[in-house]
Amino acid sequence: MSALPNIVDIDTQLATQSPQEILRYALETFDNIAISFSGAEDVVLIDMAAKIRPDLQVFSLDTGRLHAQTYRFIEAVRKHYRIDIDIVMPEASKVEQLVKAKGLFSFYEDDHKECCGVRKIAPLRKQLLTVDAWITGQRRDQSPGTRAAVPVIQDDKAFARPDDSLTKFNPLANWTSKQVWDYIRDNNVPYNELHDQGFVSIGCEPCTRPTGPGQHEREGRWWWEEATKKECGLHAVNIAK
Amino acid sequence: MKITMVKKVFADGSPCKKCGEVEEKMRAAGQLQRIDRVVIADEANDQSEGMLLAAEHNIDRAPFFIVERDGQQTEIYTVYFRFVKEVLDSETSEEEEIAEIMNDNDLDFL
Repeated sequence: MSALPNIVDIDTQLATQSPQEILRYALETFDNIAISFSGAEDVVLIDMAAKIRPDLQVFSLDTGRLHAQTYRFIEAVRKHYRIDIDIVMPEASKVEQLVKAKGLFSFYEDDHKECCGVRKIAPLRKQLLTVDAWITGQRRDQSPGTRAAVPVIQDDKAFARPDDSLTKFNPLANWTSKQVWDYIRDNNVPYNELHDQGFVSIGCEPCTRPTGPGQHEREGRWWWEEATKKECGLHAVNIAK
Repeated sequence: MKITMVKKVFADGSPCKKCGEVEEKMRAAGQLQRIDRVVIADEANDQSEGMLLAAEHNIDRAPFFIVERDGQQTEIYTVYFRFVKEVLDSETSEEEEIAEIMNDNDLDFL
């Protein structure tokens, strides 16, 4: 594994660079690195990366609940770029346990976390144990509340192997949705047909809906839940003593 | 080895729920006795010891653990289950670990 001297220093250096430059750094620094492809507009990462390093490692989490359009799109991307995409699935016995205990739509009654834990996070964790670094399409403008400070490079302590490190790159962190779509159009990048039907953020079929004008894209996901307060953050507050 | 736990108090004086949950788990597992010091990061006072330690180590979440060993570089743990496994040499369940990951990380992009 490549050693990174100081994530904060590198983030400072990369923060002002383009997504392509950040990707080039990531792909040239790490041999064993994979792109996490959600089947949405993060396809731009594949387009950019394929021009830098054709032997891309790409994986998609197949929760079993994606839209048919997303499955078709993942397949179209595989063929268009002539790449292998690892389709990562949840452990069948865990899904069966959840469904048997709580039914197929428990997320509407509890919240989405238990289902996401089984269908996305556990398989993601298993997949990330196999790599030294990963690349995501996270952007700051996707959620002013929770992603306002998304860095372009992170020391991913949550998913790292025991006593090891995992580096996470977010090359699109500083881009806006408009920049992503300008890139898609300018470069004839294939995109998920759901976007033409008003879907901005695309996840599992039962948990994703189109958004209207003026609505933030996060309103298209888990709309029946209140926005989660990330209370583990540390924020100094100026209070008059 | 010296272990410092930094836990948070909100600006309004209320305790951080996750810090309380972690502390309770550690108490139940008999792990609290392994902690040498518990320090408060008071969000209303950026000069409180915990806030200063967070700034010194560039940490933006709580609770976190500072592990100092003679002759070795200080290690910081912001993920409880990693701290338990790697420092306390104890086990946590996969369900607990996934729940912690989901609570502490914005993974909605997946």
